[in-house]
Formats: sequence, C-alpha cells, structure tokens
Amino acid sequence: MTLSSRMIVVLTSIGVLSGAFLVSVGILTKERIVLNKQREIETAITAVVPGTRTSQKLYEEKDFSVYSGEDEQGHLLGFALNASAAGFQDKILFMIGIDPDLTRISSLYVLDQKETPGLGAKITDRESFLVFWENKKISEPLKLRKPPAASPDELLPYEVNTISGATVSSEAVLSAVNISVEKLRKLKEEGKLNSKGRDGN
Amino acid sequence: MATKSVSFDFVKGLWQENPVSRQLLGMCSTLAITNAVINGIAMGLAVSFVLIFSSFLISLFRKLIPSQVRIGSFIVIIATFVTIADRFMAAYFPPLSKSLGPYVPLIVVNCIILGRAEAFDSKNTVGRSLVDAFGMSIGYILALLILSAIREILGNGTIFGYQVLGTWYEPWIVMILPPGAFITLGILIALANQIERKAKQRR
Repeated sequence: MTLSSRMIVVLTSIGVLSGAFLVSVGILTKERIVLNKQREIETAITAVVPGTRTSQKLYEEKDFSVYSGEDEQGHLLGFALNASAAGFQDKILFMIGIDPDLTRISSLYVLDQKETPGLGAKITDRESFLVFWENKKISEPLKLRKPPAASPDELLPYEVNTISGATVSSEAVLSAVNISVEKLRKLKEEGKLNSKGRDGN
Repeated sequence: MATKSVSFDFVKGLWQENPVSRQLLGMCSTLAITNAVINGIAMGLAVSFVLIFSSFLISLFRKLIPSQVRIGSFIVIIATFVTIADRFMAAYFPPLSKSLGPYVPLIVVNCIILGRAEAFDSKNTVGRSLVDAFGMSIGYILALLILSAIREILGNGTIFGYQVLGTWYEPWIVMILPPGAFITLGILIALANQIERKAKQRR
C-alpha cells in the first residue's frame, strides 16, 4: 500500500469507528439528558407555584415559555414563566411564579446563571435577593429600590431590591420580569393560554 | 528516557514532570475551573479518563498510524473520549456538567493529553504508556485539588460546600475570580520551584 492510501485508510477508519461509537453513546445518554432537563423545569415550577402536582406547557417562544401549575384536581394554582435576562456574563434563565389572576409574583427561581461569584451570583441566594421578590404586586411595573432595603418589609409593594455591587444583574432580572409579566397578560387577554383538561379561569 | 524504569514512568508525573506545576500544560481549564474543590475533582477525573483511554489506543496503534496524519488521528481519538465524558456527565451528574460548562468539551485541546500522545504514547509500549498516563493523571488531580482547595477555602470559607471557616471570616471573593486563580497558581509554582532547587542543592 502506498503511503497516501495508507494515510487515507487509517484516518478514515479511525473517524468511522469513533463516529459509530459516539452514535451509540449518544443514543444511550440522550434519554437521561432530556429527562434531567425536564426534571429541572418541574422542580422550578413546584418551587414558584407551591402545591403543584401536574403542569402543562401552555405557550412557547424563543427564550420565553409559560407553564401552568395545577393541583390533583386540575385546578389552576398559578403560572410559571420560564424567562431569560441578559446578565453581566451570559443569559440568566429563571422561573417566575404568578398567581392565576395575574396580581402577584409568588417567587422567583434561578435555573441557570454565570454571574460574578460573590456579586451577581447572589441572585440565586434567597436571603440576599430572592426573598425581596416574594409576593410582589404586578398591577404596575416593578421598580428597583436604591439603595437596597435591609428587609423585605421596608419595600413598597412595587419595589424590589438591588444587589449592591451588582446593579447590572439586578436590573437584568427586573426588566425581564416586567417584560414577561406584560407578555403573559397579553397572552391571557388574547386567550392563547389554553390547554386541554383544565377548567377555565 | 528509554533507560528509566517503570516506576519512574509513574512517579515523574507526580512531581518532576507534573503537568501543572512543571510542564505548565492545560492552564486554561486549570485556572478556570478550580474555584471549587468538587469542580477540580470532576475536571481531574474527566481529564484522567480521556488521558488513560487515549494513551491506551494511541500506543496500541502507534505503528499503524502514519506519522503524517498522527496529529489528526490523535485528535479524533481524544475527541471521542472527551465526548463520551461530556455526555456521561450531562446524563448522570447534571449539576457538575453545568458548573464545568464548556470546559469539558475543551478537554479536546488540553495540551496535557495531546502532549503525552505526541511525546510518549507514540513512542512507547502500551504498558509504559498506561503507567505514564496514570502518573500524569494523578499528578494533575493532585495539582487541581491543592489549587481548588486553597481557592475555595479563602474565597468562600468552604470546602466541598461545607463551611469550614466561621462567620467571622469575610471571604476573599477575588480568590474565586480569575485573578485568584493566577495568584494561587503563581505562588504554587514558585513554591514548587523553590522546593526543587533546595532538593537539587542537597543532592
């Protein structure tokens, strides 16, 4: 065999063999990876809409989807919005819990973020960030409180806290929440939040 | 090197030719992921898995692979194992896979692995290559472990996520940020050089 044909044969067979091997690895792990993602979404929905037993995807677009949180009888307990914000480093993906009448945010849950550790990454921390988002009225857009309040009781109904030193992250979450709430309201008015097997609201 | 013993093949990876402190290879992932001990261990194990299996295959086929296409062949073999490690982590350890992010796929271009393939596996028997790979892997894991332990303790007051320093301790956040990685690595390499120099004087 000449050198050039040997080169072709060797490199091709290495490529084909590893390709075949990887296909089988891909098939073996794919199901679990999809399941992990699904489980993560379910955990987040249960966290923002407490008491959720089942949930359905009601609406989906790029970087925004709406899930319902329902109890055993299929009564709507609330909506969970999967939203994304342009953070300091990368997208912040999070879940927003909202009651069925769209009056209040129950809580937030951060799914994924790459903010600066010790500063922006505090958005995942309940005590320093998330607690200031619980039970917020949303009949008008939320505003950031500057300088930050020490406890959630000091905030006005439409105010949420800034993380000192991480204004970008706080503002990113805030604007994403306001936009998502608006989107949900529009979808509800247009009657696009329909799913099977649920009594209307 | 050919005259050196099998035990030297193993031991050299731990200190004399430690991939991190002596060869300064694989710096990108070393600096990036050592902000927590668990990440350091996961990265160390992933690199070890790829290094050991690719060393085995590369040394096994070293006489079949024409030298003109050796780099391409090595990279395909390495990339195969990296993809396996990446999928496996995503399937069974999703939080780890998330916190290591792109650094698992980037093992493909980790110079420790390609460096061993080119410098050792392509010239030595399967047995010696495996011993070498194990030595290098342990050396790499140890280096990551020391680096990430220092950074996690000082930068977060924790180790493996458990609080070890009391509430009096104000974490040095810089230690878990990129500058902390450079500072710690620099000090560790300086220390390693100092120890090596002292040892040489005594010899």
